[in-house]
Order: sequence, then structure tokens, then C-alpha cells
Amino acid sequence: MRAIRPSLMIALRALRRNKLQTALTMIGITIGVATVLTMIALGSGAESAIEDQVRAAGMNTIIVTAGNYKTKTEDSGSAVEEQGRIAPRVEFVPAVWRNPQGAGPLMPLFRPVFHPEDDPMEKHDHPTASQRLGDTEAGLGAAATLTSADADAIRKISGVQYVSEGIHNNAHVAWGAKRWFTRLHGDDVSLPLIRRAWVFEHGRFFSKREQSHAAQVVVLGSIVSQRLFGAENPVGKQVSIYKQPFEVVGVVASGSWLVAAAPGDDQFDAIYVPFTTIQRLLNLSKLNDITITTSSSGEVSRISQQITDLLRARHRIGVKDPDDFTVTSQARQALAKGGMLPQVARSVVGNIAGLEKVTLEQLGKTLDRASRTMTALLASVAAVSLLVGGIGIMNIMLLSVTERTREIGIRRAVGAKANDVLRQFLMEAVALSVTGGLAGIAIGLAVSNIIGQWVQWSVSISALAVALSFGIAAMVGIFFGYYPARQASRIAPIDALRYE
Amino acid sequence: MAVISVRNLTKTYHVGEVAVHALRGVSLEIEKGEFVAVVGPSGSGKSTLMHILGCLDSPTSGEYFLDGADVSHLSDDELSEVRNHKIGFVFQGFNLLPRTSALENVELPLLYNAGSLSATERRRRAMEALAAVGLRDRAEHHPNQLSGGQQQRVAIARALMNRPSILLADEPTGNLDSRTSIEVLDIFQSLREERGITIVLITHEPSVAEYGSRIVAFKDGRIVSDTPNLRQRVARGELAEMPIAREDA
Ligand SMILES: Nc1ncnc2c1ncn2[C@@H]1O[C@H](COP(=O)(O)OP(=O)(O)O)[C@@H](O)[C@H]1O
Ligand SMILES: [Mg+2]
Repeated sequence: MRAIRPSLMIALRALRRNKLQTALTMIGITIGVATVLTMIALGSGAESAIEDQVRAAGMNTIIVTAGNYKTKTEDSGSAVEEQGRIAPRVEFVPAVWRNPQGAGPLMPLFRPVFHPEDDPMEKHDHPTASQRLGDTEAGLGAAATLTSADADAIRKISGVQYVSEGIHNNAHVAWGAKRWFTRLHGDDVSLPLIRRAWVFEHGRFFSKREQSHAAQVVVLGSIVSQRLFGAENPVGKQVSIYKQPFEVVGVVASGSWLVAAAPGDDQFDAIYVPFTTIQRLLNLSKLNDITITTSSSGEVSRISQQITDLLRARHRIGVKDPDDFTVTSQARQALAKGGMLPQVARSVVGNIAGLEKVTLEQLGKTLDRASRTMTALLASVAAVSLLVGGIGIMNIMLLSVTERTREIGIRRAVGAKANDVLRQFLMEAVALSVTGGLAGIAIGLAVSNIIGQWVQWSVSISALAVALSFGIAAMVGIFFGYYPARQASRIAPIDALRYE
Repeated sequence: MAVISVRNLTKTYHVGEVAVHALRGVSLEIEKGEFVAVVGPSGSGKSTLMHILGCLDSPTSGEYFLDGADVSHLSDDELSEVRNHKIGFVFQGFNLLPRTSALENVELPLLYNAGSLSATERRRRAMEALAAVGLRDRAEHHPNQLSGGQQQRVAIARALMNRPSILLADEPTGNLDSRTSIEVLDIFQSLREERGITIVLITHEPSVAEYGSRIVAFKDGRIVSDTPNLRQRVARGELAEMPIAREDA
């Protein structure tokens, strides 16, 4: 590989001499490479966006709920609807409020689990808790059969990605004179990993440390934050829940265009505190539910079955006895109950026969179509630009060979071999295309980002994509530069030297 | 042993239907350290001979031994190596790379040398060669910033880079005025005296041929006379008697 560096220097010097020509020749390559990079960025962006949307819709989620309010059946969708009709109960639950400092006398009190929303005379501008889908059933009065030990056992099942332990209730959140009645979720730190399409408008989720200390910290859903604080940043403020002070550490909102936050929804008209804090405040040791995500959506059924077997064994349930828990996968619930923008849900549902068989791949395919069309379009633009750019390079190199025949003769006279000449001209062609390619990479990065901002299309540019674009530019240079370079190397030394 | 030994060299060009016999059987032996002046009218085949001697072209027939080795049947790559190692060229039109500094022009043969040198070593050697022809302070000049004489000295420096066995010069003074011509001839004579380099000088001017140690006269593709030059002119002495030239002031 001798003389690579000198050939490169010779090549670069030759390009510097004809700056305008060089620039004009590079334009085709620049456009081509920019298009390639944009194409990859948008394509893989679309891929990961679809994946995120699908995860956001909960396609890989399994929920284990304490208690069994239905006969054992796979038809969880209709159960959801039935659940919505269950009448709210009024119960008195003995609870012990501890002094938050941990000192001082314990103050026993009775707390009514009477929801103001349950007052038939009250008008609500959002669905009441009982109309909400999900786990109304799993109020504190429901069969409390799940424990943290169950959750730990589920964590050990292979294919399980994240496990979050949950306690759910309704609660008033108050800040100053403002009050808002909403869902209270006692959850695990890993919840944001399960709800992949969460974005934190302010602050953060509570930490592992806060969870293990059962700290009185709260993350507000965006709807709650808006009701209590308007546009203000609530992080650091003290709100009161169950008459206890809680520090707001974050505000969570939907990061997905498939999932819109609305009053009454279970995710963003809600507040989140560590489940340990609720267990401490309410003196509980049980859980309402355990939410599990699987690494692969195809494994939802298998893992659901494994969880069922595991929990039956752990709870020592006889062969003929019914489960004391309910395992549902969220795929169908998510599609049936909304949470997606209606038009998206409609198109997904409309495109998929047999809702029961909804799979990640099927949902993906539907959403994939648009990005594929775009990729095909960009690919043809890229191909044409690269072809035109390549021909431009070939043209200028052929001209260059003619113009510099004398130079070739001089080099041959002082000992350059045919291959040295070939390499020099090839190197020049590659230098041209690669310089054009670098400009194309810069433009491609800018364009992808602009498109990403402008149409809210998520773009992802990997180092590999950049390397690939660079490689394509180099390949174009080699491919289209080879013929002129070979012509140059084939001129007999004496003819080259005598060329006028 | 002769540095150059050719026997019955012929070269025929075909231009359309016409066959041009540029060389019609040339036999010549050149010993190491000779300064051979090949002289003859224009079109007599001198350049054709030089191109063959310089391995830039091959003869139609005949044998050519360079340093005792038969070079008539070498491959293109092998001929390139021979040119790189054993032959230095000086042309009438200088043949320097345009828009390239004198230093880089001189470095050129080193780029194609099999034992690749570091860039600094190449630079150092090129600088040394430039200094030897008195152009140390012109190293960064491009050919169009140099006078004809200076350009020809850059070309000589380049020709000597790989310490060749022979220096082939085709009308090296053809584009130069009389004083710079003698300066170039002085360089040739001192190269021969100080380093023992074999020189073949081609010219159509008998007066230039008189600086050689041996004069070979050419006519119509044949050698018509080949005699030692008993009255060799000495460029150094002639220069000393000339007024100082402006260009070197
Ligand atoms: N490439 C060529 N094609 C055809 N004829 C050529 C070519 N090169 C030289 N000749 C002819 O060969 C003869 C010798 O030319 P040349 O060696 O250049 O002579 P000199 O250098 O002595 O003036 C001339 O008649 C010339 O026309
Ligand atoms: Mg000639």
C-alpha cells in the first residue's frame, strides 16, 4: 500500500486547484448522500417511533390484579366493560395515620372511602372513578392477595422486562384552596420504564431511594398539574394528600401522539407516589396489582400463563379452586378502551381483523406503511442523485485525464507504474466524492433534524448510518472513478510525454 | 563493462500507409563516466534513440543492455523501476509539474521509489539536490515563477534524485539563452567529473556538442561518425570570462 498518502496529497492538491469545478461536481453526490442519510434517519426513526407507540399502547404489558371479579376467561375485554358498571361501594376502612416525622403519638382515625364523585347529584366534567377503566375494582377493600414477595417471584421469570408493584386509590390533592379529585397510584420506580411514552414536563419520577425510604413525594399527571397549578411549574411545592404534606418532584405527560392526555384518564389525570409510602401511611402490606412488561410482545401469552401457575402455587390454590387474582394482557384493553387518539385507534382496529389476535407486528405493519412509502421515495431520489453525481465525477475525471496527460507522462518518466497512476486518479475521484459526501452528511443531519422538528417525525441518526453514507460516497467515487483512472494508467509513457 | 550497449536498433513508425524509419540499425556502446554528445539535424532520430535508451519506448528490433542487463523484454512495471532507479531525464521543455513547487517536483522520483522514505527524509534529500544546483532559496517557487535556466536546474536536480547510472538530456539548452545554456552544460560537466555520472546529451547544435567528451553524429536514423572529442570545451572557464548574468544577481 505504498504511496497511498502521497497519492492522497496529490489528489487533494489537484482538487484545490479547481475549486469551482470541484464544487459543481460534488453537488450530485452531496444531494445523494444527504438523501440517503435522511432516508435512514426517518426510516429508523419511524421504526423506533412505532415501537414506542406500540409499547405506549401497552402491547407488551401484563397486569396481575388482586382478587377475581369474574369467572376465569380469556375474554378480558368484556370484563372491562362489565367492570365499568359495577356500583361504587361505600366502606369504612380502618387506617392508622402516622405522624410524618415518625415521632409523636399515633393517631387512629376512620377514613370514609366515600368518593365525592359517587354522589349521584354531583356533576363531573370528566368520567368518574367508577367509569374509569382499569382497576376500580382493586380499591383498598378488594381482596388483597398480592404481595411484594409475589412481585419478586415474577421478576425471576425469564422474558420479564420490568415489574412494578401498584396500590391504587382515589384521593383529593389540594394545593392552597384548590382541590382536585383524582386517581392515586402507589407505584414502583420502574413504572416510567413500563410506560415508555412518558415525558416529564417538569422534574422527574421518584427515585429508588425515595421509594425505599417511603418518602412523601408525588409525581403529578399533567392534567392534575394543570388543574392545580395552571401553567406554573409545581416542582418543589407542597401539596396535601390525605392531609399529609407531599413534595411535588415531577409532572408527567404523554410523549406519544397515539396517547392523548385527557381528564379522567388513568395515566395523566392521576398522581404517583411510591407504593411503599402508601403502604406506610395506610399501614398496608398487600398490593392491588402488579404490572409486568415482557421483553418481547410475542411472549405475553406464555408469560401470562407462567405467572398464573406461579401465583397459584404461591397462594396454594387447589386444582379446582378459582384464582384469587386476575391476569390480563393489556393489548386488547388498550385498543378497546381508547387512550389512543380515536382516529388512530379506528385505523388500527379497521385494519386488523380479529382484535384478539392483535400483535406487535400487525400494529407495526399498519403504522409502517407510511414510512415505507417515504423510504421508497427517498431511496429513488438518492439513487438518481448518486447516479448523476457519479456520472459527473466520471466526466470531470475523464477531462482531467486528458488535461493532465503530460503530467502522467512526467510521472511515468520518473518511475511511476501504471498502477501508481491508476491509484492517483482513483484517489482523486474518491476524494471528490467523499468531500461531496461529507457535505451531504452535514446537510442530511440538518435536514433530518428539521423534518423531525417540523412534522414531529422522530428521527434517529446512528453512527452506523453516518458511516454507511460515507461508505456509499466512497463507493460511488471508486465505481465511477475507476474507468477514467484506468484510461490514465493505460497511456503509454512516451505518448503521454509527447502529448501536446 | 559498458553502461549502455545497443545493437542494431531499429524503430519504424507507421503513419497511415507510410512507414517512417526513425532508426535504421544503430549500434552504440557507452562506458561509465562518458559524456556523449549525440548531434545531428532535426528529424534524424536522436530523440527516438533517447526514448529507447530511457526505457520510455521500445525498439522495433535490436538489443539493448543497460548495466549489462537485457531490457528489451521487460514488462511495463519493470521498465518503470528501471527508469526510477537508473535513468534521469532532462528535456528541452523542462517537463516540470505545473502549479507545483520546485521542491515537490524534485521529490517526485522518491514517491515512486520502492523503499518508501518518510516525508521528512524525502524533503531533506530534495532540498539537498536543489541546493546542489544552487536553488535552495527557490524551493517553494512554482515553475512559472522561475526562469528557464532555473527550471532546467530543477529538472536536473529531479533527474539526479535516485542516483541514476545515466543522465539523458534531450536538447536541454534548446529553450535557453547562451549564458544559461553554458551554465547547464557546466552542471553536466561537473556532475561527470565529481560524481562520475554517465551523460548522453542530445543536440542539433554542433557548438553544444563540443562540450561532450565524445561526439556521435546522426543522420537519417544512422550513426555517421563516432569520435572522441579532443577539443572539449570547458563551460566553467567560459563562464568565468562572461559578465555576471542578471538572473543570478
Ligand atoms: N510518434 C511518432 N510517430 C510517427 N513518426 C514519428 C514519431 N516520432 C518521431 N517520428 C518521426 O521519426 C523521425 C525521427 O524523429 P526524432 O527522433 O524526433 O528526431 P530528432 O529528435 O532527431 O529531431 C522523424 O522523421 C519524425 O517525424
Ligand atoms: Mg528531438
